[in-house]
Amino acid sequence: MMKDKPLEIAGHEFSSRLIVGTGKFSDIETMIKAVRSSGTGLVTVALRRFNREDRADDLYGPLSGIEGLTLMPNTSGARTAQEAVRAALLGREISRSPFVKVEIHPNPHHLMPDPIETYEACRLLVKEGFAVMPYIPADPVLAKRLEDIGCASVMPLGSAIGSGHGLRTAELLALIVTDSGVPVIVDAGLRSPSEAAASMEMGCDAVLVNSAIAAADDPEGMAAAFARAVEAGLAARRAGLMSAGETAAATSPLTSFVAEPT
Amino acid sequence: MKLTVNGEPHEHRGAGTIPALVAEIEAELERVAVMINGDIVRRGNFDTVRLREGDTVEILTFAGGG
Repeated sequence: MMKDKPLEIAGHEFSSRLIVGTGKFSDIETMIKAVRSSGTGLVTVALRRFNREDRADDLYGPLSGIEGLTLMPNTSGARTAQEAVRAALLGREISRSPFVKVEIHPNPHHLMPDPIETYEACRLLVKEGFAVMPYIPADPVLAKRLEDIGCASVMPLGSAIGSGHGLRTAELLALIVTDSGVPVIVDAGLRSPSEAAASMEMGCDAVLVNSAIAAADDPEGMAAAFARAVEAGLAARRAGLMSAGETAAATSPLTSFVAEPT
Repeated sequence: MKLTVNGEPHEHRGAGTIPALVAEIEAELERVAVMINGDIVRRGNFDTVRLREGDTVEILTFAGGG
């Protein structure tokens, strides 16, 4: 039996291993329904300037109405470690939680995380007492270095944010899982629940999904599908997958009693 | 009192406090984070900090994000 416990990050237990992003939904009501349907205990949010003319995107009120839900602000928009630290400190003033998703991606074309600024931001935020969850390239060395400085988890990408390209980094994710002493959460790129299940089967501790749910025809239904896939993948991991062989191995007797007598 | 609030010029006619300004722009104190001239104001200091002529104020809320 492996990991027969709830997901624990920085001393906080989460009964669900699905983390949900709140961006890109058509409206707040749809997002709230999807969050409820997902069963998640942890959602990401972004910071932005208050706009009196556009209140439809003020999420603290609606999300704080969901019992037991922890809000994790991200540092989206930050291009440097200093900007990310400032975003994190501001986010904490609203979230009232220690969790922060560090994301620093200076290039809007590919949105790949900047490993150097991310590392520095994490170092500073750990000192500030945050439960730091960095969004990172699927780099086992960087993941280990971030664990060493006290990050609460690592969140390597499956593929580019919002791309729906799935687990392009599978081999590297497997290396990160093997070495990691903190939860490994696949963040970004997932399109289908089967990819979430595959992530869990390979030993990841959780997955973070946003676009795949928000952009589905029925986000509430897709959130439920992801929740079940994560459960199925974890159950499979715990049950122990058979080893793969290079050739066929019969499941039925091959004695040829139906053959013509010779 | 002339301020810059979220990048726009703003004439503040209240008590010169964060709660007064937040109420003036019709935001909710519970849902905002505040920065004055680049310095973050902790929630516990919302009542004691005084705004001054020319201050640049950022008032931020949570929006959807992944």
